[in-house]
Amino acid sequence: MGLLNWLESLALSVWVHESPSIWAQPTVLTLHTMGMGVLVGASWVLDLRLLGIGRNIPLSAFRWVFRTVAFSLVVNLVTGVLLFMARATLWGTAFPFLIKILLVVASAATLLPIRNYVLQSDPEQRDVSGRARMLAMISIATWTAAITAGRLLAYTVAG
Amino acid sequence: MPSITSFNLAHVHLLLNHVPTIGSVVALGLMIVAFIRRDEGLKLVGLEVLFAIALLTLPAYMTGVAAFTKLRGEPGISETAIRLHQDVALYGFTWMEFAGFIAWVALWNARRHGRASRGLVVTSTALLIVSFAVMARAANLGGDIRHPELGGTALTIDSAEFLASKISNVMVNSPWAWPASETVHFLGLSLSFGVLLAINLRILGVMKRVPFAELHRLLPWGMLGFGLNLITGMLFFVGQPKQYIDSAPFYWKIVFLMIAGANFLYLTVFRKAWADTRGAWTASGTDKAMAFVSMFAWLATLYCGRMLPFIGHSF
Repeated sequence: MGLLNWLESLALSVWVHESPSIWAQPTVLTLHTMGMGVLVGASWVLDLRLLGIGRNIPLSAFRWVFRTVAFSLVVNLVTGVLLFMARATLWGTAFPFLIKILLVVASAATLLPIRNYVLQSDPEQRDVSGRARMLAMISIATWTAAITAGRLLAYTVAG
Repeated sequence: MPSITSFNLAHVHLLLNHVPTIGSVVALGLMIVAFIRRDEGLKLVGLEVLFAIALLTLPAYMTGVAAFTKLRGEPGISETAIRLHQDVALYGFTWMEFAGFIAWVALWNARRHGRASRGLVVTSTALLIVSFAVMARAANLGGDIRHPELGGTALTIDSAEFLASKISNVMVNSPWAWPASETVHFLGLSLSFGVLLAINLRILGVMKRVPFAELHRLLPWGMLGFGLNLITGMLFFVGQPKQYIDSAPFYWKIVFLMIAGANFLYLTVFRKAWADTRGAWTASGTDKAMAFVSMFAWLATLYCGRMLPFIGHSF
Protein backbone atom coordinates (compact mmCIF):
# COMPACT_ATOMS: atom_id res chain seq x y z
CA MET A 1 0.00 0.00 0.00
CA GLY A 2 2.92 2.33 0.77
CA LEU A 3 4.33 1.83 -2.73
CA LEU A 4 0.92 2.43 -4.34
CA ASN A 5 0.40 5.59 -2.31
CA TRP A 6 3.84 6.83 -3.30
CA LEU A 7 3.19 6.10 -7.00
CA GLU A 8 -0.10 7.92 -6.89
CA SER A 9 1.44 10.96 -5.19
CA LEU A 10 4.07 11.52 -7.89
CA ALA A 11 3.68 14.78 -9.79
CA LEU A 12 3.20 12.90 -13.08
CA SER A 13 0.44 10.71 -11.61
CA VAL A 14 -1.35 13.70 -10.14
CA TRP A 15 -1.10 15.51 -13.47
CA VAL A 16 -2.59 12.57 -15.44
CA HIS A 17 -5.38 12.15 -12.92
CA GLU A 18 -6.29 15.73 -12.10
CA SER A 19 -5.17 18.04 -14.88
CA PRO A 20 -8.05 19.50 -16.89
CA SER A 21 -5.71 19.49 -19.92
CA ILE A 22 -6.80 17.48 -22.94
CA TRP A 23 -3.27 16.07 -23.01
CA ALA A 24 -3.60 14.44 -19.59
CA GLN A 25 -6.04 11.58 -18.95
CA PRO A 26 -8.09 12.03 -22.18
CA THR A 27 -5.09 11.73 -24.52
CA VAL A 28 -3.41 8.95 -22.54
CA LEU A 29 -6.65 6.96 -22.54
CA THR A 30 -7.25 7.58 -26.25
CA LEU A 31 -3.71 6.48 -27.15
CA HIS A 32 -4.26 3.36 -25.04
CA THR A 33 -7.42 2.60 -27.05
CA MET A 34 -5.71 3.25 -30.40
CA GLY A 35 -2.82 1.03 -29.33
CA MET A 36 -5.32 -1.66 -28.42
CA GLY A 37 -7.02 -1.48 -31.81
CA VAL A 38 -3.74 -1.76 -33.73
CA LEU A 39 -2.27 -4.41 -31.40
CA VAL A 40 -5.28 -6.70 -31.32
CA GLY A 41 -6.25 -5.97 -34.94
CA ALA A 42 -2.80 -6.87 -36.30
CA SER A 43 -2.66 -10.01 -34.12
CA TRP A 44 -6.09 -11.08 -35.30
CA VAL A 45 -5.26 -10.62 -38.99
CA LEU A 46 -2.36 -13.05 -38.58
CA ASP A 47 -4.52 -15.41 -36.51
CA LEU A 48 -7.15 -15.38 -39.27
CA ARG A 49 -4.48 -16.22 -41.85
CA LEU A 50 -3.19 -19.09 -39.69
CA LEU A 51 -6.76 -20.37 -39.50
CA GLY A 52 -7.04 -20.40 -43.28
CA ILE A 53 -8.43 -17.00 -44.33
CA GLY A 54 -6.43 -15.99 -47.42
CA ARG A 55 -4.68 -19.36 -47.53
CA ASN A 56 -2.70 -18.47 -50.66
CA ILE A 57 -0.75 -15.72 -48.91
CA PRO A 58 2.70 -17.01 -47.84
CA LEU A 59 3.15 -16.83 -44.07
CA SER A 60 6.40 -14.90 -44.51
CA ALA A 61 4.39 -11.94 -45.91
CA PHE A 62 3.13 -11.28 -42.38
CA ARG A 63 6.45 -10.18 -40.93
CA TRP A 64 5.12 -6.61 -40.64
CA VAL A 65 2.67 -7.82 -37.98
CA PHE A 66 5.45 -8.27 -35.41
CA ARG A 67 6.90 -4.80 -35.84
CA THR A 68 3.39 -3.33 -35.63
CA VAL A 69 2.55 -5.39 -32.57
CA ALA A 70 5.84 -4.51 -30.85
CA PHE A 71 5.27 -0.80 -31.48
CA SER A 72 1.71 -0.82 -30.17
CA LEU A 73 2.71 -2.97 -27.18
CA VAL A 74 5.23 -0.26 -26.23
CA VAL A 75 2.58 2.46 -26.68
CA ASN A 76 0.15 0.54 -24.48
CA LEU A 77 2.76 -0.33 -21.88
CA VAL A 78 3.69 3.37 -21.49
CA THR A 79 0.10 4.65 -21.50
CA GLY A 80 -1.02 1.72 -19.34
CA VAL A 81 1.62 2.47 -16.71
CA LEU A 82 0.59 6.14 -16.72
CA LEU A 83 -3.09 5.23 -16.25
CA PHE A 84 -2.13 2.82 -13.46
CA MET A 85 0.02 5.42 -11.68
CA ALA A 86 -2.78 7.99 -11.84
CA ARG A 87 -4.99 5.74 -9.69
CA ALA A 88 -2.48 3.28 -8.29
CA THR A 89 -4.33 2.61 -5.02
CA LEU A 90 -7.50 1.81 -6.98
CA TRP A 91 -6.02 -0.45 -9.68
CA GLY A 92 -3.35 -1.97 -7.46
CA THR A 93 -5.91 -3.43 -5.09
CA ALA A 94 -8.59 -4.45 -7.59
CA PHE A 95 -8.93 -8.14 -8.43
CA PRO A 96 -10.63 -7.54 -11.84
CA PHE A 97 -7.63 -5.42 -12.84
CA LEU A 98 -5.31 -8.33 -12.02
CA ILE A 99 -7.44 -10.57 -14.26
CA LYS A 100 -7.15 -8.09 -17.11
CA ILE A 101 -3.37 -7.86 -16.78
CA LEU A 102 -3.03 -11.65 -16.68
CA LEU A 103 -5.17 -11.93 -19.83
CA VAL A 104 -3.06 -9.30 -21.63
CA VAL A 105 0.13 -11.13 -20.62
CA ALA A 106 -1.34 -14.45 -21.77
CA SER A 107 -2.40 -12.93 -25.13
CA ALA A 108 0.98 -11.30 -25.68
CA ALA A 109 2.65 -14.60 -24.73
CA THR A 110 0.85 -16.42 -27.57
CA LEU A 111 2.56 -14.00 -29.96
CA LEU A 112 6.03 -15.39 -29.16
CA PRO A 113 5.56 -18.95 -30.46
CA ILE A 114 3.47 -17.58 -33.36
CA ARG A 115 6.31 -15.18 -34.18
CA ASN A 116 8.89 -17.97 -34.12
CA TYR A 117 6.68 -20.12 -36.33
CA VAL A 118 6.10 -17.39 -38.94
CA LEU A 119 9.68 -16.09 -38.99
CA GLN A 120 11.07 -19.62 -39.36
CA SER A 121 8.61 -20.58 -42.08
CA ASP A 122 9.78 -21.14 -45.64
CA PRO A 123 9.53 -17.97 -47.79
CA GLU A 124 6.85 -19.66 -49.90
CA GLN A 125 5.24 -21.72 -47.15
CA ARG A 126 1.46 -21.68 -47.11
CA ASP A 127 0.65 -24.74 -45.01
CA VAL A 128 -0.02 -24.17 -41.34
CA SER A 129 0.70 -26.78 -38.66
CA GLY A 130 -2.02 -27.94 -36.30
CA ARG A 131 -0.09 -26.45 -33.40
CA ALA A 132 0.04 -23.01 -35.04
CA ARG A 133 -3.70 -23.15 -35.72
CA MET A 134 -4.28 -24.00 -32.08
CA LEU A 135 -2.12 -21.04 -31.04
CA ALA A 136 -4.12 -18.76 -33.34
CA MET A 137 -7.38 -19.88 -31.75
CA ILE A 138 -5.97 -19.31 -28.26
CA SER A 139 -4.73 -15.87 -29.32
CA ILE A 140 -8.16 -14.83 -30.65
CA ALA A 141 -9.83 -16.08 -27.47
CA THR A 142 -7.40 -14.48 -25.00
CA TRP A 143 -7.43 -11.08 -26.77
CA THR A 144 -11.24 -11.19 -26.76
CA ALA A 145 -11.18 -11.95 -23.04
CA ALA A 146 -8.57 -9.25 -22.37
CA ILE A 147 -10.60 -6.55 -24.16
CA THR A 148 -13.75 -7.69 -22.37
CA ALA A 149 -12.03 -7.60 -18.98
CA GLY A 150 -10.49 -4.20 -19.74
CA ARG A 151 -13.77 -2.63 -20.84
CA LEU A 152 -15.63 -4.00 -17.85
CA LEU A 153 -13.09 -2.39 -15.50
CA ALA A 154 -14.95 0.86 -16.09
CA TYR A 155 -17.98 -0.78 -14.47
CA THR A 156 -16.52 -3.21 -11.93
CA VAL A 157 -13.73 -1.06 -10.48
CA ALA A 158 -13.82 2.55 -11.64
CA GLY A 159 -17.60 2.80 -12.01
CA MET B 1 -12.14 21.69 -32.72
CA PRO B 2 -14.67 24.12 -34.25
CA SER B 3 -18.17 23.28 -33.20
CA ILE B 4 -20.15 21.50 -35.87
CA THR B 5 -23.26 21.85 -33.75
CA SER B 6 -23.42 25.54 -34.59
CA PHE B 7 -25.01 24.41 -37.86
CA ASN B 8 -28.71 24.06 -37.70
CA LEU B 9 -29.00 20.29 -37.66
CA ALA B 10 -32.70 20.46 -38.43
CA HIS B 11 -31.72 21.95 -41.80
CA VAL B 12 -29.12 19.25 -42.36
CA HIS B 13 -31.88 16.73 -41.69
CA LEU B 14 -34.16 18.38 -44.24
CA LEU B 15 -31.34 17.93 -46.76
CA LEU B 16 -30.29 14.38 -45.85
CA ASN B 17 -33.77 12.98 -45.33
CA HIS B 18 -34.26 12.84 -49.09
CA VAL B 19 -31.33 10.47 -49.56
CA PRO B 20 -33.02 7.26 -48.36
CA THR B 21 -36.15 7.81 -50.45
CA ILE B 22 -34.89 9.50 -53.62
CA GLY B 23 -31.65 7.54 -53.48
CA SER B 24 -33.63 4.29 -53.29
CA VAL B 25 -35.60 5.22 -56.38
CA VAL B 26 -32.36 5.92 -58.25
CA ALA B 27 -30.76 2.65 -57.10
CA LEU B 28 -33.92 0.73 -57.91
CA GLY B 29 -34.10 2.33 -61.36
CA LEU B 30 -30.50 1.34 -62.05
CA MET B 31 -31.21 -2.24 -60.96
CA ILE B 32 -34.32 -2.54 -63.13
CA VAL B 33 -32.52 -1.17 -66.21
CA ALA B 34 -29.57 -3.48 -65.46
CA PHE B 35 -31.89 -6.50 -65.29
CA ILE B 36 -33.68 -5.56 -68.51
CA ARG B 37 -30.48 -4.91 -70.41
CA ARG B 38 -28.69 -7.80 -68.70
CA ASP B 39 -25.94 -5.31 -68.03
CA GLU B 40 -23.59 -6.77 -65.39
CA GLY B 41 -21.62 -3.53 -65.05
CA LEU B 42 -24.76 -1.52 -64.35
CA LYS B 43 -25.79 -4.00 -61.64
CA LEU B 44 -22.51 -3.26 -59.88
CA VAL B 45 -23.18 0.48 -60.16
CA GLY B 46 -26.63 -0.08 -58.64
CA LEU B 47 -25.08 -2.01 -55.75
CA GLU B 48 -22.48 0.71 -55.20
CA VAL B 49 -25.18 3.40 -55.11
CA LEU B 50 -27.17 1.26 -52.69
CA PHE B 51 -24.18 0.92 -50.34
CA ALA B 52 -23.59 4.69 -50.45
CA ILE B 53 -27.27 5.36 -49.60
CA ALA B 54 -27.08 2.93 -46.69
CA LEU B 55 -24.11 4.92 -45.36
CA LEU B 56 -25.84 8.29 -45.71
CA THR B 57 -28.98 6.97 -44.02
CA LEU B 58 -27.00 6.99 -40.76
CA PRO B 59 -26.54 10.80 -40.58
CA ALA B 60 -30.07 11.21 -41.97
CA TYR B 61 -31.43 9.38 -38.93
CA MET B 62 -29.12 11.06 -36.45
CA THR B 63 -29.77 14.62 -37.60
CA GLY B 64 -33.47 13.78 -37.40
CA VAL B 65 -33.14 13.04 -33.70
CA ALA B 66 -31.29 16.35 -33.29
CA ALA B 67 -34.07 18.16 -35.16
CA PHE B 68 -36.60 16.51 -32.82
CA THR B 69 -35.09 18.13 -29.74
CA LYS B 70 -35.05 21.51 -31.52
CA LEU B 71 -38.71 21.31 -32.50
CA ARG B 72 -39.97 19.74 -29.29
CA GLY B 73 -42.34 21.92 -27.34
CA GLU B 74 -42.87 24.40 -30.18
CA PRO B 75 -46.50 25.41 -30.74
CA GLY B 76 -48.27 23.43 -33.45
CA ILE B 77 -45.83 20.53 -33.22
CA SER B 78 -47.14 17.16 -32.16
CA GLU B 79 -44.58 15.18 -30.24
CA THR B 80 -46.42 11.97 -31.01
CA ALA B 81 -46.22 12.75 -34.73
CA ILE B 82 -42.45 13.18 -34.42
CA ARG B 83 -42.02 10.01 -32.39
CA LEU B 84 -44.08 8.01 -34.87
CA HIS B 85 -42.02 9.41 -37.76
CA GLN B 86 -38.81 8.61 -35.88
CA ASP B 87 -39.87 5.09 -35.10
CA VAL B 88 -40.81 4.25 -38.68
CA ALA B 89 -37.51 5.83 -39.78
CA LEU B 90 -35.68 3.54 -37.33
CA TYR B 91 -37.31 0.51 -38.93
CA GLY B 92 -36.47 1.93 -42.36
CA PHE B 93 -32.89 2.54 -41.28
CA THR B 94 -32.56 -1.08 -40.13
CA TRP B 95 -33.89 -2.43 -43.45
CA MET B 96 -31.67 -0.03 -45.36
CA GLU B 97 -28.52 -1.09 -43.52
CA PHE B 98 -29.42 -4.70 -44.13
CA ALA B 99 -29.88 -3.96 -47.86
CA GLY B 100 -26.58 -2.05 -47.93
CA PHE B 101 -24.79 -4.92 -46.22
CA ILE B 102 -26.07 -7.50 -48.73
CA ALA B 103 -25.15 -5.08 -51.55
CA TRP B 104 -21.61 -4.95 -50.18
CA VAL B 105 -21.44 -8.76 -49.96
CA ALA B 106 -22.66 -8.92 -53.58
CA LEU B 107 -19.96 -6.44 -54.64
CA TRP B 108 -17.32 -8.37 -52.75
CA ASN B 109 -18.48 -11.63 -54.26
CA ALA B 110 -18.55 -10.10 -57.75
CA ARG B 111 -14.91 -9.09 -57.37
CA ARG B 112 -14.08 -12.75 -56.77
CA HIS B 113 -16.15 -14.32 -59.48
CA GLY B 114 -16.11 -11.59 -62.11
CA ARG B 115 -19.87 -11.02 -61.96
CA ALA B 116 -22.47 -10.38 -59.33
CA SER B 117 -24.28 -13.41 -57.96
CA ARG B 118 -27.89 -13.40 -59.09
CA GLY B 119 -29.22 -14.44 -55.70
CA LEU B 120 -27.40 -11.67 -53.85
CA VAL B 121 -28.46 -8.99 -56.35
CA VAL B 122 -32.10 -10.10 -56.14
CA THR B 123 -31.93 -10.23 -52.32
CA SER B 124 -30.44 -6.76 -52.01
CA THR B 125 -32.95 -5.37 -54.51
CA ALA B 126 -35.82 -6.95 -52.57
CA LEU B 127 -34.50 -5.48 -49.31
CA LEU B 128 -34.13 -2.14 -51.06
CA ILE B 129 -37.81 -2.22 -52.07
CA VAL B 130 -38.83 -3.00 -48.46
CA SER B 131 -36.66 -0.22 -47.04
CA PHE B 132 -37.97 2.19 -49.67
CA ALA B 133 -41.55 1.36 -48.69
CA VAL B 134 -40.81 1.88 -44.98
CA MET B 135 -38.82 5.06 -45.66
CA ALA B 136 -41.60 6.45 -47.85
CA ARG B 137 -44.01 5.97 -44.95
CA ALA B 138 -41.49 7.62 -42.62
CA ALA B 139 -41.21 10.54 -45.06
CA ASN B 140 -44.98 10.84 -45.22
CA LEU B 141 -45.23 10.86 -41.42
CA GLY B 142 -42.40 13.39 -41.31
CA GLY B 143 -44.43 15.69 -43.53
CA ASP B 144 -47.28 15.52 -41.04
CA ILE B 145 -45.08 17.10 -38.38
CA ARG B 146 -45.08 20.52 -40.03
CA HIS B 147 -47.97 20.15 -42.44
CA PRO B 148 -50.95 18.72 -40.54
CA GLU B 149 -53.18 20.41 -43.13
CA LEU B 150 -52.02 17.77 -45.65
CA GLY B 151 -54.02 15.13 -43.85
CA GLY B 152 -52.12 14.09 -40.78
CA THR B 153 -54.26 12.69 -38.02
CA ALA B 154 -54.17 13.66 -34.41
CA LEU B 155 -52.54 10.78 -32.62
CA THR B 156 -52.36 9.62 -29.08
CA ILE B 157 -49.86 6.85 -28.57
CA ASP B 158 -48.19 6.04 -25.29
CA SER B 159 -44.56 7.00 -25.79
CA ALA B 160 -43.40 3.76 -24.13
CA GLU B 161 -44.90 1.89 -27.09
CA PHE B 162 -42.29 3.12 -29.54
CA LEU B 163 -39.38 0.92 -30.60
CA ALA B 164 -36.88 3.68 -29.83
CA SER B 165 -38.28 3.95 -26.29
CA LYS B 166 -38.10 0.20 -25.80
CA ILE B 167 -34.46 0.07 -26.94
CA SER B 168 -33.63 3.05 -24.77
CA ASN B 169 -35.32 1.43 -21.80
CA VAL B 170 -33.20 -1.73 -22.11
CA MET B 171 -29.97 0.19 -22.76
CA VAL B 172 -30.44 2.46 -19.76
CA ASN B 173 -32.00 0.09 -17.23
CA SER B 174 -30.34 -3.23 -17.94
CA PRO B 175 -27.14 -3.61 -15.92
CA TRP B 176 -25.37 -5.47 -18.71
CA ALA B 177 -26.73 -4.07 -22.02
CA TRP B 178 -24.51 -0.97 -22.14
CA PRO B 179 -21.26 -2.63 -20.90
CA ALA B 180 -21.81 -5.63 -23.22
CA SER B 181 -22.42 -3.34 -26.22
CA GLU B 182 -19.30 -1.34 -25.37
CA THR B 183 -17.24 -4.51 -25.20
CA VAL B 184 -18.52 -5.64 -28.61
CA HIS B 185 -17.85 -2.10 -29.94
CA PHE B 186 -14.19 -2.40 -28.86
CA LEU B 187 -13.83 -5.90 -30.30
CA GLY B 188 -15.39 -4.74 -33.58
CA LEU B 189 -13.12 -1.72 -33.85
CA SER B 190 -10.04 -3.93 -33.36
CA LEU B 191 -11.21 -6.35 -36.04
CA SER B 192 -11.91 -3.71 -38.67
CA PHE B 193 -8.71 -1.86 -37.74
CA GLY B 194 -6.58 -4.97 -38.22
CA VAL B 195 -8.05 -5.92 -41.58
CA LEU B 196 -7.84 -2.38 -42.97
CA LEU B 197 -4.30 -2.03 -41.65
CA ALA B 198 -3.25 -5.14 -43.58
CA ILE B 199 -4.94 -4.00 -46.80
CA ASN B 200 -3.77 -0.39 -46.59
CA LEU B 201 -0.20 -1.46 -45.80
CA ARG B 202 -0.27 -3.61 -48.95
CA ILE B 203 -1.39 -0.56 -50.95
CA LEU B 204 1.43 1.45 -49.39
CA GLY B 205 3.99 -1.14 -50.45
CA VAL B 206 4.37 -3.59 -47.54
CA MET B 207 3.88 -7.26 -48.55
CA LYS B 208 4.59 -6.30 -52.16
CA ARG B 209 4.81 -9.90 -53.37
CA VAL B 210 1.33 -10.75 -52.18
CA PRO B 211 -1.27 -10.55 -54.93
CA PHE B 212 -3.89 -8.04 -53.94
CA ALA B 213 -6.64 -10.49 -54.82
CA GLU B 214 -5.51 -12.80 -52.00
CA LEU B 215 -6.08 -10.11 -49.39
CA HIS B 216 -9.63 -9.93 -50.67
CA ARG B 217 -10.60 -12.85 -48.40
CA LEU B 218 -9.85 -10.71 -45.36
CA LEU B 219 -12.25 -7.89 -46.29
CA PRO B 220 -15.48 -9.52 -45.00
CA TRP B 221 -13.88 -9.80 -41.56
CA GLY B 222 -13.27 -6.08 -41.62
CA MET B 223 -16.88 -5.62 -42.69
CA LEU B 224 -17.97 -7.85 -39.81
CA GLY B 225 -16.19 -5.52 -37.38
CA PHE B 226 -17.75 -2.49 -39.09
CA GLY B 227 -21.21 -4.11 -38.88
CA LEU B 228 -20.83 -4.98 -35.19
CA ASN B 229 -19.89 -1.39 -34.49
CA LEU B 230 -22.75 0.01 -36.53
CA ILE B 231 -25.21 -2.10 -34.54
CA THR B 232 -23.73 -1.40 -31.11
CA GLY B 233 -23.16 2.26 -32.00
CA MET B 234 -26.83 2.63 -32.95
CA LEU B 235 -27.81 0.96 -29.65
CA PHE B 236 -25.85 3.67 -27.80
CA PHE B 237 -27.35 6.43 -29.93
CA VAL B 238 -30.96 5.24 -29.69
CA GLY B 239 -30.37 4.35 -26.03
CA GLN B 240 -29.20 7.79 -24.94
CA PRO B 241 -29.54 10.24 -27.86
CA LYS B 242 -29.19 13.26 -25.58
CA GLN B 243 -25.58 12.32 -24.89
CA TYR B 244 -24.72 12.74 -28.55
CA ILE B 245 -26.99 15.09 -30.44
CA ASP B 246 -25.37 18.31 -29.28
CA SER B 247 -21.87 16.92 -28.87
CA ALA B 248 -19.35 18.32 -31.36
CA PRO B 249 -16.95 15.33 -31.33
CA PHE B 250 -19.90 13.06 -32.05
CA TYR B 251 -20.69 14.83 -35.34
CA TRP B 252 -17.01 14.83 -36.28
CA LYS B 253 -17.01 11.13 -35.54
CA ILE B 254 -19.88 10.60 -37.98
CA VAL B 255 -18.11 12.72 -40.62
CA PHE B 256 -14.95 10.62 -40.32
CA LEU B 257 -17.03 7.46 -40.27
CA MET B 258 -18.60 8.45 -43.60
CA ILE B 259 -15.13 9.01 -45.08
CA ALA B 260 -13.93 5.67 -43.74
CA GLY B 261 -17.06 3.94 -45.03
CA ALA B 262 -16.66 5.48 -48.48
CA ASN B 263 -13.13 4.16 -48.43
CA PHE B 264 -14.46 0.70 -47.72
CA LEU B 265 -16.51 1.03 -50.90
CA TYR B 266 -13.43 2.23 -52.80
CA LEU B 267 -11.50 -0.85 -51.64
CA THR B 268 -14.34 -3.07 -52.79
CA VAL B 269 -14.62 -1.58 -56.27
CA PHE B 270 -10.86 -1.15 -56.81
CA ARG B 271 -10.71 -2.74 -60.28
CA LYS B 272 -7.11 -3.14 -61.35
CA ALA B 273 -5.81 -4.17 -57.95
CA TRP B 274 -8.29 -6.99 -57.38
CA ALA B 275 -7.61 -8.34 -60.86
CA ASP B 276 -3.97 -8.85 -59.90
CA THR B 277 -3.37 -12.52 -59.10
CA ARG B 278 0.40 -12.54 -59.48
CA GLY B 279 1.56 -9.75 -57.19
CA ALA B 280 2.44 -7.50 -60.12
CA TRP B 281 0.20 -4.59 -59.16
CA THR B 282 1.65 -1.43 -57.68
CA ALA B 283 -0.50 1.30 -56.26
CA SER B 284 -0.98 4.62 -58.03
CA GLY B 285 -0.63 7.92 -56.20
CA THR B 286 -4.41 8.11 -55.81
CA ASP B 287 -4.57 4.64 -54.31
CA LYS B 288 -1.84 5.50 -51.82
CA ALA B 289 -3.59 8.74 -50.92
CA MET B 290 -6.79 6.74 -50.33
CA ALA B 291 -4.89 4.34 -48.06
CA PHE B 292 -3.62 7.28 -46.00
CA VAL B 293 -7.08 8.83 -45.86
CA SER B 294 -8.53 5.51 -44.73
CA MET B 295 -6.07 5.04 -41.87
CA PHE B 296 -6.41 8.67 -40.83
CA ALA B 297 -10.22 8.52 -40.93
CA TRP B 298 -10.29 5.39 -38.74
CA LEU B 299 -7.92 6.85 -36.19
CA ALA B 300 -9.92 10.10 -36.21
CA THR B 301 -13.19 8.17 -35.74
CA LEU B 302 -11.69 6.39 -32.75
CA TYR B 303 -10.24 9.65 -31.41
CA CYS B 304 -13.59 11.46 -31.57
CA GLY B 305 -15.37 8.47 -30.02
CA ARG B 306 -12.96 8.07 -27.13
CA MET B 307 -12.93 11.85 -26.57
CA LEU B 308 -16.75 12.04 -26.31
CA PRO B 309 -16.71 12.38 -22.52
CA PHE B 310 -13.87 14.92 -22.56
CA ILE B 311 -14.41 17.30 -25.50
CA GLY B 312 -18.13 16.65 -25.52
CA HIS B 313 -20.09 16.03 -22.38
CA SER B 314 -21.19 12.41 -22.76
CA PHE B 315 -21.16 10.12 -19.74
